[in-house]
Amino acid sequence: MASYASAAARILDSATKAGANYADVQFWTIRSENLFVRNGDVQDASDSRSLGYAVRALVDGSWGFYGSDRMTDEDFDRAAVAATVIARSGTKVVDRIPAITPTQKTVATWETPFTRDPASVSLGERANHLLAVEKSMHVAKNVIAGYAFMNVWTTGKEFYSTNGSAIVQTIRQAGAGCGATAIGKDQDAQSRGGPGDFGLYQGGGYEVIEAADLATIAPEYGREAVILADAPALPSGVRDLILDGTVLNLQMHESIGHPLELDRSLGWEANFSGISWVTPDKVGKARYGSDLLNIYCDNSMAGGMATVGYDDEAVKPERVPLIENGILRAFLSSRDTAAQVGLPQTASTRAQDWGSVPMVRMTNIALAPHEGTLDSIVADTKDGVLVSGMRSWSIDDHRLNFQFGPQIGYEIKDGKRGKIFKQPTYTGITPQFWGSLDRVGGPSEFRVWGTPNCGKGEPEQSGRTTHACSVARFKDVKVGVKADA
Amino acid sequence: MHEQDRALSLAESVLTAAKAADQAQVTVTITDASYARFARSYVTQNLESQQTNISLTYYIGKKAGTVNSADASPDGIARLVAKAKEIAQRVPPDNDFVSLPKPQEPPAAVPSFFASTSDATPDDRVEKLLPVFARMKRSNLYCSGFTTTQTQTLAIANSLGVRVAYTGTNGGIQVKAMAPQTSGYAEAYALDYSTIDTEPIAERAAMKATVSSTPADFAPGRYTVVMEPSAFQSAVKALLEGIDASNVLDEKDSWMIGRLGKPILSPNFTLRSDWSNPQLANPPFDPSDGSPVKKFTFIDKGVPLAYSASTYMSNKFHVPATGVANSMVIDPGTKSYDDLIGSVERGVLISRTWYERVVDPRQAAITGLTRDGVYAIENGKLTKALKNFRYFVSMVEVMKDVEFSNRATLCEPEDDLGYQCVLPDAKIANFNLAAQTSFA
Repeated sequence: MASYASAAARILDSATKAGANYADVQFWTIRSENLFVRNGDVQDASDSRSLGYAVRALVDGSWGFYGSDRMTDEDFDRAAVAATVIARSGTKVVDRIPAITPTQKTVATWETPFTRDPASVSLGERANHLLAVEKSMHVAKNVIAGYAFMNVWTTGKEFYSTNGSAIVQTIRQAGAGCGATAIGKDQDAQSRGGPGDFGLYQGGGYEVIEAADLATIAPEYGREAVILADAPALPSGVRDLILDGTVLNLQMHESIGHPLELDRSLGWEANFSGISWVTPDKVGKARYGSDLLNIYCDNSMAGGMATVGYDDEAVKPERVPLIENGILRAFLSSRDTAAQVGLPQTASTRAQDWGSVPMVRMTNIALAPHEGTLDSIVADTKDGVLVSGMRSWSIDDHRLNFQFGPQIGYEIKDGKRGKIFKQPTYTGITPQFWGSLDRVGGPSEFRVWGTPNCGKGEPEQSGRTTHACSVARFKDVKVGVKADA
Repeated sequence: MHEQDRALSLAESVLTAAKAADQAQVTVTITDASYARFARSYVTQNLESQQTNISLTYYIGKKAGTVNSADASPDGIARLVAKAKEIAQRVPPDNDFVSLPKPQEPPAAVPSFFASTSDATPDDRVEKLLPVFARMKRSNLYCSGFTTTQTQTLAIANSLGVRVAYTGTNGGIQVKAMAPQTSGYAEAYALDYSTIDTEPIAERAAMKATVSSTPADFAPGRYTVVMEPSAFQSAVKALLEGIDASNVLDEKDSWMIGRLGKPILSPNFTLRSDWSNPQLANPPFDPSDGSPVKKFTFIDKGVPLAYSASTYMSNKFHVPATGVANSMVIDPGTKSYDDLIGSVERGVLISRTWYERVVDPRQAAITGLTRDGVYAIENGKLTKALKNFRYFVSMVEVMKDVEFSNRATLCEPEDDLGYQCVLPDAKIANFNLAAQTSFA
């Protein structure tokens, strides 16, 4: 990445002259390599690059933000002044909680560790891999569609502040997935795909694409799509429910990660993303789940999508317990939100890109592993359902009432897998559901699952998050919920 | 239109540099978006962002490479073209691709640019909010939301001669008024920011937040509901997501399959694609390839008639091209909003919904939750605030019995789904409120 130190110095100087009490600027170079194949055709082969910068100015405790991709000296001056003018406009509101002024100075460099450079894999090799994967899912004539994809993202960031901070980072993330749709005798179309809710997404290089192991799982997705197309819907009832990692990680995302975003709990996201059923005054008191529920945030986690050296306001990550033995301990936070309630910072401030304002995001969270494997938990279940793959999910704006629709359900009877069901929906209330957690799998099946497109903010930003976990079982869950209209 | 000229000129330069391609398409977007977000009745995020994007798709036969960049310098354009060509040389073909569209004269655009929106300053936006904060204070309420002004320019040029450009503005405000246990919501959108009067918006949100101080229980079940436009837009998404050739012919996961031409919905229900609706004022061309967007009717008096088809889908399945449908209009009814509510003996008013997900696209079955103001209607009057509900309905089933108000409202753009809606309030019978939450 080219150094933007001199441009940054000009911007910070202009902002200071315009009246900013503090300012920072972050230059971003973003490269996004995307490949998508469907039914034997390469439908998207794209390589997108973007260079721009984000200026933040603080005036009397009010933040202003200006993002631009215009790169002349005049543009730099204009952006600096604009950020300061925007900040000043917020001071017209007399009754407000002023933001705190950052004071620390950090000079550092950081890069995501990786083992295989994506540049060493040609576009042709990537495309041929995906085409072979996609082809292998067409195991029967009624497989009407197959797809496979990969994304490789490389983001360079240079952060400078009026405190003298200078932080240069290179962040690498990648992901891959595939899926098949089959049509049944009654013309019902059912899909099976993964791995993960969207694919396997992690921080790293091309080794992430290899770890997705699409060549192995793709034919099985094809076979299961064919079975699902003529399978019965899961009957309504109350059953023990086993979530494999592909479902459990999204369950954590929606009903633990989001409610623990401190800006949401403080009401800053009330109009869009919503608020939270837990508040800072419940730290140390609220029971979030059973004793097996141990959740932590670690934005230095190997393979995490949100793993960085420093977040977008120059805070260094540390491992922070969020829930211990089922009891709420902390929130995901930014500098301002943490200061308001006196809780630890978790280096969870992120922006989607240079045109987006940094804010509290779900970053890397993990459910600490306990003991056993998926097979041993199945063997230990008398009457239940194992679900895998994600099709639809919905949760209220307090993050309490949820309804999930996995792709496939396997009936469990006396410790053995039986019938396959389509539409194995389930529903619950967050603390009761996590309170019914009675098995958490061990380290052997602990995997770093990522989501590439978590929405939050106005305008909406897409975030990249991680929810590492193994497998889990929940007692007496309401399953097979129907539209019934 | 200075930005249109700049965008078209930039597209022309890229196309010239890509003249060796068998076919090529350049799309240039220039966006300037500002938001003043607020929570707890003060501005928490205050921002502006200015972005340019140049997208080139370079074709060698049926092989295509797409590259995006913001670098408009001669060197940047040369790199863009070289990379797109390199990708096209290396990837296998897309056999479904036939051709980019040929030039066709698009209809004249309707007025869509308002200087009052594009020139709005940070002070203008915050001053729109001050009366909102003052109104909340009078009733001991807090509020959360945003106000925005946006200008977007789009230009498309291809090697077959297509040259189209468009500039539009959009302004809006959303206000969620919050009491300790209840809340109320109101919003307004307009192309001309100066026409948005925020005081009545604040008044409406505050009034709804104070219908009652404690949200009441209301047994889950099937009720007649009145959905305000924001809520109705979210529910009707279950139908809108299945009305393209990609759903009907390619993925085969559309509710339209087997129902085209049959009177399966209420005769009150007519859904059109109309880019020229003056409240919407979208471009008269498909933003994906510059081909003209046709005005047409998806559902006519309850009968599903047609689906949309892009040039790509049209070529693949040999069906008429309509262009992407991004301007959805549902015909209003005859009753006023108050009369619509007045006609409900026992039911529920829903202001807004959240986290809607299509569970079964073949039945347009959708689930979601109410939020920010749900009220009991008893004998034609709002009587109390209720705790929120999860709904779970087949829109194909419930839209058999629907009645609309006479007001047509521009809703928040569904950016991720690529369309905007102008909708009335909807009174829907037998709507399944499947479960109630513990809060409002």
